[in-house]
Amino acid sequence: MSWGTQAALLLTPYLAGTLLLLLVPALLTLALAFTGYDTLTPPVWRGLQNFVTLARDVRVGQAFQNTLIYVALAVPLRVAAALALALWLQGRRPGAGWVRAAVYVPSVVPPVAYALAGLWLLNPLYGPVNLALGALGLPAPAWLAEAGPARVAVALLAVFQIGEGFVVLLAARRGLSPEVLAAATVDGAGAWATFRYIVRPLLQPWLVLLTLRDVALSFQNAFAAAYLMTGGGPYYATLFLPLLAHEEAFGGFRYGEAAALMLAALVTAAALIAVFWALWRGWGGAEEW
Amino acid sequence: MVTSWRRWWWRAGALAVAAVFLWPVLGMLAFSLRPAGLPPPRTLLEGLSLQTLAWDNYQRIFELVPLGAYTLNSLWLAALAVPLTIVTASWAGLALTWLAPPERRDLLALSVALLLIPGAAVWLARLVLFNSLGLRDTYWPLLAPALMGADPLYVLVFYWAFRQVPRELFEAARADGAHALDLWWRVALPLARPAALAVAALAFVFFWGDFVGPLLYLKSPALYTLPVGVQQLLALDRTNWPLLMAAAAVMTAPPLLFFLAAQHFFWREYTA
Repeated sequence: MSWGTQAALLLTPYLAGTLLLLLVPALLTLALAFTGYDTLTPPVWRGLQNFVTLARDVRVGQAFQNTLIYVALAVPLRVAAALALALWLQGRRPGAGWVRAAVYVPSVVPPVAYALAGLWLLNPLYGPVNLALGALGLPAPAWLAEAGPARVAVALLAVFQIGEGFVVLLAARRGLSPEVLAAATVDGAGAWATFRYIVRPLLQPWLVLLTLRDVALSFQNAFAAAYLMTGGGPYYATLFLPLLAHEEAFGGFRYGEAAALMLAALVTAAALIAVFWALWRGWGGAEEW
Repeated sequence: MVTSWRRWWWRAGALAVAAVFLWPVLGMLAFSLRPAGLPPPRTLLEGLSLQTLAWDNYQRIFELVPLGAYTLNSLWLAALAVPLTIVTASWAGLALTWLAPPERRDLLALSVALLLIPGAAVWLARLVLFNSLGLRDTYWPLLAPALMGADPLYVLVFYWAFRQVPRELFEAARADGAHALDLWWRVALPLARPAALAVAALAFVFFWGDFVGPLLYLKSPALYTLPVGVQQLLALDRTNWPLLMAAAAVMTAPPLLFFLAAQHFFWREYTA
């Protein structure tokens, strides 16, 4: 057998699994979006009816708005935090290894346990966050019980689970050539100038990739937070698209409408992949990979 | 003088960052040992003071909800899914290093593109698919991601590790008549133990924490996993925080210990 045949053999489960679990479901979502389906009777063709129904539902506009706010808050904060921590902790100073491990710890906490910890941390009356704010004489919002603070709280909780991006940027920073950085110092560049003109441009591909990946992850993170902590409330302030789709499908047996809602996530994915593809070709297929 | 000032600055910053990131887990542990009947704390110190340690909180959660059986189910699932993930992800990662450059580039691009598809976008259709296959209320849908290496990222981690293996090693083994599976098991995998451990830790966190799978697919209580049990406990009494924190701690301990045990290899793999 040639290398190619051997490789094809070992790739079979990965490619078959991808087909079964991602590509076929994506096409099925697209098809279901144009039907009425309650899982008990076969799907009925509806054309664009689902989209008309959804356009009339006030919750849909609200869910789009909430999801956009979540992405706009959580993604930049998560990428910036991962970058700042990776650059600060990349050195071999004594104790740095322990701090790196500490930064990773919240990322291994299972979603259900993390949501419980979040509910307790942010409890308006006796949660540690408000007790600490009270002790400092600062105003303490009712967090998950008020629309505005609930939106912020849900996004802020996601900022601590950045292990993956942190590790990727740590590796990317360590991969930079020490000579280039030393040359910058010799030329008299300070820490900020080195970051601005050398480190950040060299890390740019990784930052772009992480940002795209984070937008995709936002759908899961937002669902976990809303389903486990807020139930979409208060006053629909944390009703995100995947939660609304879940309610349509499992609360109302309206799978067609739910699939039509999830098309928004698939269109987002298509846009992210298009951006990635344009950049990938610009990088010449990323030879160094 | 300046250096010692900078060293203190580093220490203070490092402690502050570690405290902020460890606070949810440490607070969870501290609060889980608070006696369940006490009135809610009014100051931070009161909330975290541990005058009496209520270890029986950990016993009570197992009596209120059959957490013991659920834990066994979760362990059983992870014991199947994690090794399977390592097999499929390392196969794909190894195969990528063997492909000719044009195909390799296409498959790498595909793997990165797959990272950009939100899982939430296809949950519903997967459910319809597995239902039509008659696999609802079984562990198959929960195990299925392991067939594709669970996450394309794990495939990439193996690919980066195997790329370090000199091609001559494979050529030599092949000249001796070794097949693809021999090369994988005898040559590649032993040289990529750190990568395998790192992926094992990541995959364990992935399968152990999965709450969407059970939510969508499991109907029989006999099959329920730990995330379902903890949600049941939350539904029983949303205000009994010591018990809820004890349940959260029970759920967090295995992945945390796995991570701490594997962390040496974990960092080496990513940041060598």
